Amino acid sequence: MKLIELKGVVKRFGKVIVLDDVNLSIEEGDVIGVIGTSGSGKTTLLNLISGFLHPSSGKVLHSFHVTQGQVSMQKNLHKIKDKIGFAPQHNSFYPKLTVVENMLHFGQLYGLKKETIVNNVDSLLHATKLHHHRNKLAQHLSGGMQKRLDISCSLVHKPKILILDEPTDDLDPILQREIMSFLKEVNKQGVTLVIASHNLDLLEKICNKIAIVHNGKVKDCGLISDFRRPFLKEHFTINLNVSDNKEKILSYINNLHVSKIIDKGHHIVVYPHNAAQTISSLLNIIDEEDLYDIDIRRPSLGDIFERITMEES
Amino acid sequence: MRSLWLLTKKNLKLLIRSKSSGLVIFLAPLLIILILGLSYSSSSNYGLNIGIHADSFTEDVDSLISSLQEQEFRIIKYESDVEECIEDIKQGFIHTCVSVPQDLKVEDNQQKEITFYIDPSEINLVWMIQETLGSKFNLKSQEISKQLTGEIINQLDDTKNKVSEKSSELNQVKEKSSAASSSVTSLKENIENIDLEVPIIVYDAGIVNSFKNKLSSEVEDSINAVSNARNDVENAEIEGGNGAILNSLNDAEKNLNKLLAMVEGNNSGYGEISSLVSSLQHDLIQAQTKLMSASETMSSTSSSLDSTTASIQDSLTAMTVVQQGLEEIKSNLESQKVTEVDTIAAPLVTKIERISPESSFLNYSFPGLLVLVVMFSSLLLGTTLVMMEKNSPAFFRNYFLPLQKGTFIISTYLTNSIITIIQIVIILGVSLLFLKGNPLVMLPVAGMLLISSTVFTLMGMTIGYVFRSEETGTLASISLGSFLLFVSGLILPLESISANIRKITNFNPFVISEKVIREIFIFKAPVQTIWTDILTLLGYALILFVAIIVIDILIHKHFKERFNKHRHKENRHKEKIEKNNA
Repeated sequence: MKLIELKGVVKRFGKVIVLDDVNLSIEEGDVIGVIGTSGSGKTTLLNLISGFLHPSSGKVLHSFHVTQGQVSMQKNLHKIKDKIGFAPQHNSFYPKLTVVENMLHFGQLYGLKKETIVNNVDSLLHATKLHHHRNKLAQHLSGGMQKRLDISCSLVHKPKILILDEPTDDLDPILQREIMSFLKEVNKQGVTLVIASHNLDLLEKICNKIAIVHNGKVKDCGLISDFRRPFLKEHFTINLNVSDNKEKILSYINNLHVSKIIDKGHHIVVYPHNAAQTISSLLNIIDEEDLYDIDIRRPSLGDIFERITMEES
Repeated sequence: MRSLWLLTKKNLKLLIRSKSSGLVIFLAPLLIILILGLSYSSSSNYGLNIGIHADSFTEDVDSLISSLQEQEFRIIKYESDVEECIEDIKQGFIHTCVSVPQDLKVEDNQQKEITFYIDPSEINLVWMIQETLGSKFNLKSQEISKQLTGEIINQLDDTKNKVSEKSSELNQVKEKSSAASSSVTSLKENIENIDLEVPIIVYDAGIVNSFKNKLSSEVEDSINAVSNARNDVENAEIEGGNGAILNSLNDAEKNLNKLLAMVEGNNSGYGEISSLVSSLQHDLIQAQTKLMSASETMSSTSSSLDSTTASIQDSLTAMTVVQQGLEEIKSNLESQKVTEVDTIAAPLVTKIERISPESSFLNYSFPGLLVLVVMFSSLLLGTTLVMMEKNSPAFFRNYFLPLQKGTFIISTYLTNSIITIIQIVIILGVSLLFLKGNPLVMLPVAGMLLISSTVFTLMGMTIGYVFRSEETGTLASISLGSFLLFVSGLILPLESISANIRKITNFNPFVISEKVIREIFIFKAPVQTIWTDILTLLGYALILFVAIIVIDILIHKHFKERFNKHRHKENRHKEKIEKNNA
């Protein structure tokens, strides 16, 4: 069931068109990753989905209330605020309140019964592993804890959809994984997730759908598998770990039929036009050039995104 | 030194680059000085509302009123009762009540008393009223004093003229008296010259002899006649006899014979008479002569005395005229009823009556101080709380809460109110230690303070919503508070500012709050006398509340746009850097 649908949405700030003709559907239970370069309009898209911003033209529809069908979000925002959770890029809670005070404060303002709120808070504290820090002032928490608290505050009223803007930004890889695994748990409990992030690897792990925002347009939106399919044959990447003979290998690869070579120091990523031919050619020089580590990967989300945005550019 | 300059330069840049800070920094002082300049640059007189009470508004009182009106004082007349006038001071409709006698003319030795009723709690106004009105009444007093002195001088002048006029009359009296004196002297001489000595003159005695002869002849004739009569009677037959008649005739004959003998005798009767007549004749001749002489003298003396009498008569007339003149001078002098030096020097005396019991200065200034404290704390608290919320990281999350905008505003207001209530309780509690009075009065004062704080809190909140940074908001709050304070009459009397600005300042919530609290605290005013002011404050609160909602709606819209625009720019910039790095 479509929870939220954007139809021909245009968003302008003054004369600048930030988003143009956006069509996007968010179905119940989805985990949608919104990816795009910086300034591509990801946050604006999230703000439109959350109702924080209203479109300059077009429609944002929701169907949180099944009996009513799809209705305009703008006109019914006050009725569906309890269905939406939003975790902005920067933490949004009161630093001078404790963890539990923050959660109770926001939970109670959603008009839920105290018992329900207390239960929600308890379960969230355990899920986010913040229960040991429940009485600490929020400003005294570490960055990862603060991010978890922020997400908890967005979830305390048990929304149907949780929108997250860069939830792993500025976090170390361990914390990033922790956050993502937590979100996975949240999704399992039936919460639809919309996540904007630059961390495509992590997104790839939890998202079932991707929306690529580029130059103010949502280029594509769909299942990751559907995205990957067109690139599977031609957009394998060959990763080579090289040692001292990197220049020689690079000149060799340059003579092959490849679309792109990325030099990462001791690591070279090759985008072949024809994976089979390129691999065959590389296998020929394994011995003489001492290529000790070759692997072939299907295109990652990053690869796909890069390809799409490059093509567009 | 360099680092100090760099830091200062950075601070200045930051301040100037924040549009609102820049505006507040440069425009606030300009605006304040402009408004204060406009307010206090007026050269016109104090805009005092003066109640004039008199039993009846005579020409004198009206003339006094006109002279006060010339100085732009607004005059309200109270004919019925001075209490009504005093009540209006308490309510702040007028600044002072002046009770004047209906007639300012000083006609007796009593000084005319003018009573000023003043509100001692209007400390700075009291002196101003005393100064301005006192000088005005001093002028009036001088005018009356001048008039009285003029009257005295006129009367002295009149007296001088009359004395000069009557002086000629006195000369006449003098001349006439002198003439009378000389006349009397002459009379005296004349009388002294009268000769009263009797001259010896011999009178003719033949007349007496002739008289004797004639008398003897007559007597003899009479005897003969009687004798004839007796004969007749004897011959006549008379019924009842003639004896009685004959007897009588015999007696008569005898007597006549005796008389004849007396006339004919030398040693008695005639001789003596003859000698006596002779001497009398002699004396009479002498007396006649002397009397003739005296008569002449008297005749001349009479004429002198006539002239003296005329002179004296003239003197009397002149004296009467002089007397009348003196009477006129006396009555003229008596017509000057004001003779007391004090009354002439100061015909009008002013008396000052306080309309509230005498208290300490703290009592009088307490309402102003209370409002001052509440105003600044509420303004700053209102601004700070809104700023805290706006600048809080949680501000963004509040957009997603299913709450009405008004809920946030009211919650901020309630927070302020709770803090203000605590402050009020502390202030009033501590005040009770210094102010002797009924503690129950503090309850309505506290209620009123809460209403005032509502207005100031909402003002502070409005500033908080309008301005972006906490520093700018605080600066704006302090500026607004200072401005309201400057045009409140607490520092400089409102009555000294220009009329137009003064009209506006009557709507200053500080002025209204201070007035109401003063009325409650000092005059124990009942609610029905202050309800219009309370309604005005509540009206302000309502307007400000609506204004905050409107501003909040605009700010939210602006905030969203700004938030995204800023973010969009930031991302574009980031992207550029990344591209350049790549």
